Amino acid sequence: MKNKNASRRKFLKLGLAAGASALIGGGSVLSAISKVNKPAGGDKVKMLSPEGKLMEVDRGHALCCGVPTSKEVRKGIPGRHFVMVIDLSKCRNARKCVSACSKMHFLQPGQEYIKVFLMQDSEDTSPYWFPKPCFHCDAPACVNVCPVGATFKREDGVVLIDNERCIGCKFCMAACPYSSRVFNWKKPGLKPEANYSPESSVPQKIGTVGKCDFCPDSFVSGILPDCVTACPNGVYYFGDKNEDVVTNGVEALRFSELVKNKSAYRYMEELGTRPSVYYLPPVDRSFPYERGFEELPEEMKKAYKVKRAHLKKFKI
Amino acid sequence: MNVDEKTLRNLKTFKPQLESVSKRGVIVAIVLVLVILAGVYALITQIVKGHIVTGMRDNVVWGLYIVNFIFFIGISYAGALISGILHLLRVPWRTPIIRMAEMITVISTLIGPSYILLCIGRLDRLPHLVLFGRIQSPIIWDAIAISTYLSGSIIFLYLAMIRDMALLRDNPLTKGKWRNPIYRFMAVKYKDTTKQKELLNQATDLLSIVIIPLAILVHSVLAWIFGMTLRPGWHSTIFAPYFVVAAVYSGTGVLIMVMWVFRRLYHLEAHLTKIHFNYLGIIMIVLGALYGYFTFSEYLTSWYGSIKWDMEVLFRLFNPGQYWWEFVFAVFIGVLLPIVIITIPRFRSINSIAFASLIAVLAMWVKRYLIIIPTLESPLLPIHDLRPEYVHYSPTWVEWTLTAAGIALFILLFFIFSKFIPIIPVVRTGEEKDYSRLRKKVFEKQMKQLIRLRKRSDIPIGMIFLLLITFTAPAVMSQETSGIKTSLHLDFFNKEGAKSLVASLKGQEEGKYFPLENMKVNFEFVSGNEKKPIGTISTTAKGKATIEIPKKIISSGGSKGVFSFMATFTGIDKYKSSTSSVEIRNVNMELSFFQKEGEKEISCKAMEAGQDGKMTPIPDMKIEFYVPRTFSLLKVGEGSLSDGVANVEFPVTLPGDSAGNLTIVAKIEDNETYGNVEATGRINWGKPLPPMKIVKRGLGDTDAPLWMVYTLIILLSLVWFHYLYIIITVFRIRWLGKYAESKEVT
Repeated sequence: MKNKNASRRKFLKLGLAAGASALIGGGSVLSAISKVNKPAGGDKVKMLSPEGKLMEVDRGHALCCGVPTSKEVRKGIPGRHFVMVIDLSKCRNARKCVSACSKMHFLQPGQEYIKVFLMQDSEDTSPYWFPKPCFHCDAPACVNVCPVGATFKREDGVVLIDNERCIGCKFCMAACPYSSRVFNWKKPGLKPEANYSPESSVPQKIGTVGKCDFCPDSFVSGILPDCVTACPNGVYYFGDKNEDVVTNGVEALRFSELVKNKSAYRYMEELGTRPSVYYLPPVDRSFPYERGFEELPEEMKKAYKVKRAHLKKFKI
Repeated sequence: MNVDEKTLRNLKTFKPQLESVSKRGVIVAIVLVLVILAGVYALITQIVKGHIVTGMRDNVVWGLYIVNFIFFIGISYAGALISGILHLLRVPWRTPIIRMAEMITVISTLIGPSYILLCIGRLDRLPHLVLFGRIQSPIIWDAIAISTYLSGSIIFLYLAMIRDMALLRDNPLTKGKWRNPIYRFMAVKYKDTTKQKELLNQATDLLSIVIIPLAILVHSVLAWIFGMTLRPGWHSTIFAPYFVVAAVYSGTGVLIMVMWVFRRLYHLEAHLTKIHFNYLGIIMIVLGALYGYFTFSEYLTSWYGSIKWDMEVLFRLFNPGQYWWEFVFAVFIGVLLPIVIITIPRFRSINSIAFASLIAVLAMWVKRYLIIIPTLESPLLPIHDLRPEYVHYSPTWVEWTLTAAGIALFILLFFIFSKFIPIIPVVRTGEEKDYSRLRKKVFEKQMKQLIRLRKRSDIPIGMIFLLLITFTAPAVMSQETSGIKTSLHLDFFNKEGAKSLVASLKGQEEGKYFPLENMKVNFEFVSGNEKKPIGTISTTAKGKATIEIPKKIISSGGSKGVFSFMATFTGIDKYKSSTSSVEIRNVNMELSFFQKEGEKEISCKAMEAGQDGKMTPIPDMKIEFYVPRTFSLLKVGEGSLSDGVANVEFPVTLPGDSAGNLTIVAKIEDNETYGNVEATGRINWGKPLPPMKIVKRGLGDTDAPLWMVYTLIILLSLVWFHYLYIIITVFRIRWLGKYAESKEVT
């Protein structure tokens, strides 16, 4: 079956290539991502626990090491399914996740991979803060529509973008119902000294699409994404669904029990996108939602108010 | 080829069209070229600075370019559907308009897709569409459909030109050196023999059958690019037929406008009579009514259903502060005005029909704008961005200039094309039997009375802003640093008897800690006042330096079973020095598993070695039990040592590996006396993890669903088989001509 598929693809590519070969001209544009061999390791792998302590675990439990090849990047880490649980009852719009994420991804000013929305489900219900990373859907609309396979879904549940393949058609941005994607409208200002990998999304590339990537470059070595560790209130829980554990860096909880006991839900489940991000409803809040305005600059406060008035107009 | 006197006389009337260019024509051409050059400048600006120079931003990711793209592909329908259908139905009055219609198709199918290219962020990666193309993506469908459609349109146009080119080859109108060889080559030795004529007609009939479904498919695919997304205002089942109807409507409008222009420009009053305008006008109002019906149906259903996102789009359209007037123009005026003008005989004239077409075409352009922009301005999650350009789309001069350049290119290509071949098919017109009846009335009188359409020069609004652009220098980020505080923390780890020291080195800046990599940390064993160095270790990327405690030191017994260690970071460059120390004891901890009355339990035994090496149980100590997971240790139990032993229940519900193997870690943590002591055990009592299924994601997979591949191959091969057949027919015509020539010679 595999061979059959491969030959079918080959055939199709051949046909397409023949059709447009005139357009292309010479030169293969296939820029392969630098291939580095995995370092040889023993049966045990050293890992860092969230408390900052080294521990040794079986290789079976550890994730892969070294710089993965492009094939490995597209495949992901076998046997994993990374999920995030966001506890809305703890969020007070501190925006530390936003700044930490922007810093580690060297985002251009004004770009945000995580956005914090002020939501109000209906007129009489209370407003709440709604941090929104990429949902890394199991049925991702963005991946379906990509004409070149630049954005892809891995076996471990992560949706990534290969910015060296992306042609910048922005179809994925139109297709994503959650506005998770941003476009690099101009040359990225910050140029970190790093070799590009879809796992790190750094450095950004002009004319291509970027988004929250769940930080696979850190979690291969067992480190939590920066938004999780940056949050002062422990709003974000991250983990592997197959291991049945999520952690916010302070406490580790059974995923199945957490989503069951706190009736977690996925945002806009009705769209059929099957997100990997779960929300715990904003009940028994740690903070009144007004706290979210405290540290904001004046203009942002105003903007949130304008937005709320706008929502009221639509009765949403 | 042999034609009658009438046709030759007719051909002569096209001499000025082919040969001379009036002064006004030159000026118009220069203006057009200038506008195109401005477009080139705008394009270069966009390539150099990136798409930041457009009005598009993260919410409204598509703007004028896509609007123009749909618009141009829409007007290409003039040729495909109008000429195709009229040809098939053998409508007698089609002859003079068929070439113009075909030209509109070819030219607009060339210009339309270039707008897609303008919208693409990385033009340099266009080959990726071929190298990595995924046929699940509607963009690939679109690329395939449009290239196939364009090829078909070019063949169609060419087939319709063969006879006229043969005529021009045999009766050269001009001395033009470049024209005649082209005519000779492209006329494929057409001699108008019975057999050749038959073959040509056959090919044309065949292609007009193929081109109709193809044209419908092209615009449907285009509509599906939007329809496939989960956006309000786009995710609609009637989008494909809606787009098709709107496209033919605008295509007919452009055809009437082109007819009007050429009629005046080249004095074709004898060929393009009021009847042509009337008939096309009637086709247009039928299409207009159909378009109005689709529009009504589309907005009625979404308003009545009133899903909140649909309502938000409708709110934008119906809000006088936003898109209401555009909506009124595109939906009411753009449909009702043409219908009123054309249905009421009093208003019906060549000029008024042309005016109605202009309104309809403009309305269709605005409608495309209203399809794209308000939907993108209403994402499912409310836009929380503060920057006005992210909330509301307004095109920049770059986009306006490139729009104007596209229109200019359209007109210019028409102009150039009309210098090459008569705009009216000459041979076929000569063949028409009862043509005089149509020619009887030339409505010059009426023309004077009616609305005069003055040609407005199309200066793009955006050009005004050209002077107002400011260049912002990129902000240079710099950070100054002076001496950075460091902190060192020394931990003792006793894992399965292997004892090690771990020093964590961190730098502190702006209240934040970060690990320091590749720094040397010195470890020392402190015995009384004496310090014995054990070694120097460089820190890892995480700022950790780990050293194993030599067995020699442990066996020395320390001072009453207590061992003191010290770690020092001497400081380097801007990093200041720091030290840390720890006292430890020699503890032995072991894990075992046992079953008691069906309950699975974990047992931990902890002993301490005294100075004499004698092991004694540790009394009264808290032991915590964990299961290591990727990002954390999951606490599964807690117990107190009683006589050196602590028991807890085994977490049987926790998933292990495929065999159910679970690793259990028992810990004494950060204890003042004992440091960190750890013991690990492994047993297959966990929940076995079921083998991973390969998840089929359908459209999201790398490989396309098979039915899609087969459909595409069947459709494409059907169409291309016909193209191939038609091309072979053209060669057959050539061979027949050659044969006839050789016969003449002998």
